[in-house]
Amino acid sequence: MSTRILEVDGISKRFGGLQAVSPLSFHMAPGEILGLLGPNGAGKTTAFNMIAGALRTDTGAIRFNGRDIVGEKPWDICRLGIARTFQLSKPFGGLSVVENVMVGAFVRTASEMEARAEAEKVVDFLGLTAKACTDAEDLTAFDRRKLELGRALATGPRLLLMDEVVAGATPTEAQEMVALVRRVRDLGVSILIVEHVMKVIMGLSDRVIVLDYGKLIADGPPQQVVNQPDVLKAYFGERYVQVHA
Amino acid sequence: MRASFTLILGLPLLVAALILPFVVADSYVVHSAAMVLYFAYMASSWNFVCGYVGQVSLGHAAFSGIAGYASVLLFTGLGLSPWIGMILGGVLAAAISVPVGYATFRLKGPYFTLTSIAFAEIMRIWLENTDEFLGIPLKGAQGLTVPPVGGTSFLAFQFDGKLPYYFIILAMLVGVMAATHVMERSRLGFYLKAIRGNRDGAEALGIDPTRYCLTALALSAFLTGLGGAYYAQLFRYINPERNMGIDLSIDMAVMTIVGGQGTILGPTLGALVLHPVGEMVRASLGGHVLGLHLIIYGVVLMLAVLYFPKGIIAPLQRWLTPASKTTAPQTTVTVATPKEVEGR
Ligand SMILES: Nc1ncnc2c1ncn2[C@@H]1O[C@H](COP(=O)(O)OP(=O)(O)OP(=O)(O)O)[C@@H](O)[C@H]1O
Ligand SMILES: [Mg+2]
Repeated sequence: MSTRILEVDGISKRFGGLQAVSPLSFHMAPGEILGLLGPNGAGKTTAFNMIAGALRTDTGAIRFNGRDIVGEKPWDICRLGIARTFQLSKPFGGLSVVENVMVGAFVRTASEMEARAEAEKVVDFLGLTAKACTDAEDLTAFDRRKLELGRALATGPRLLLMDEVVAGATPTEAQEMVALVRRVRDLGVSILIVEHVMKVIMGLSDRVIVLDYGKLIADGPPQQVVNQPDVLKAYFGERYVQVHA
Repeated sequence: MRASFTLILGLPLLVAALILPFVVADSYVVHSAAMVLYFAYMASSWNFVCGYVGQVSLGHAAFSGIAGYASVLLFTGLGLSPWIGMILGGVLAAAISVPVGYATFRLKGPYFTLTSIAFAEIMRIWLENTDEFLGIPLKGAQGLTVPPVGGTSFLAFQFDGKLPYYFIILAMLVGVMAATHVMERSRLGFYLKAIRGNRDGAEALGIDPTRYCLTALALSAFLTGLGGAYYAQLFRYINPERNMGIDLSIDMAVMTIVGGQGTILGPTLGALVLHPVGEMVRASLGGHVLGLHLIIYGVVLMLAVLYFPKGIIAPLQRWLTPASKTTAPQTTVTVATPKEVEGR
């Protein structure tokens, strides 16, 4: 067993004239919650998409449990044990909540009965049992987020990539989501979480990394990283740093 | 919920279809009813892939033609029973559908539709202009006739009256509905709906869209092929225009869309409404204005898309199973900002 479930080694992505992600390296330990911070347009989602196989990398290597996964298709990466949620949750229309989760569960079984049983467990875990038969499109924005998490969980991942899980959530909802993410980690899943809301990521992450204009500007324990001048500058601008120095 | 609705609406229709030929024994009526069932069958076969992945193929007639010709040629050339020819033809259609689908399924919307038309039209035009291919007599646009064996022979797929043909296509229609029902509940059905709903999301959940679309397409092509072979036996005649022309593809697509895509009964409802309309127009005016039934289709399609975007099955479902609406729990609608405002 490797002590690193994920090793990202110099991946980069360029869109035309824009270097969305400059060669980026970081790693994750099994069971770790790693926060990925950065202002709008910093390249968080782009980095995410490269790990999940939704975008080709221009350079670099990505190793999952020691195996290079660059160039693998998203569905193969999912089968290897990496699941992801999207920044914008889009449930599969015309399917109920439990049926949406079944789509994820079908990765491990072809049997409808087994997939349903697995999906019901996940729906229960999410606390959505009362809405299990609701059409997924009738859910509130926050329940959609939870459903998105549930679909990913049903694939039985070892590593979960989560993009902005509390965007648009009320404080109570955000708290609920934080608790949920912790419980997911307690199942033995490593989690890479992108978040804008500083407070959420501070309390949740074991370690955070910060991207700014596609470059890694910090890597360390949350409390230490937020007080780095570079990070403050990226988030609040030059003046804030000078005034509070 | 879904299944019970299909039964509530489907069973009475089935009973009506079973007794119809005994109530009205007129052979013209039986033949016309068989044609409605044939179109319902073809539309259902089209729906098997297109209705579930949400792509409009206007090339499905090619699968009908491939299997139709195969079954007729195997019968005339090798004396093989059309029942076996039908299956082999269906398998051939499925085999051809895979490379075609592989090349086209990555295209979206109108691009997919246009390439599907191109594929079928190339096949049709080639056939119309080919009298002989590798020693096989295809007889071009003139088409092939099925030589009568005289009298009724089950093995030769030839019957004296219209009644056996009527019940064969009815059984085929029930069969394709059962297949659709099984598919809907299987992993394949879930995957097709996921691909239709959100392709990127589906991919992230371990679904290779091409693989599952092709599986469904091959099954759909097989089913369409069986229908094409049936049609050739019913008329004991096959030609490129009627068995693989674009009219047939349009019929399948429009009937399904008007009836309700991605449902078990929708395509049949579409055929029930549209085929008689098309026939009436053809009978009264068709001789004078060619293609008028297609214009009428266009109008019906526009009306259906405007008023029943999910097909005429949608209002029927609401009306027949009012309970299903109220079981949905009341959800409070919160105004969701897609993204939290930056800067704190
Ligand atoms: N497909 C694309 N084509 C061109 N430019 C892109 C593409 N995707 C992202 N970008 C650009 O790359 C940069 C990084 O985008 P990315 O979505 O990774 O940022 P992000 O950190 O996730 O931001 P946000 O917090 O707004 O989600 C942005 O400037 C964005 O406009
Ligand atoms: Mg983003």
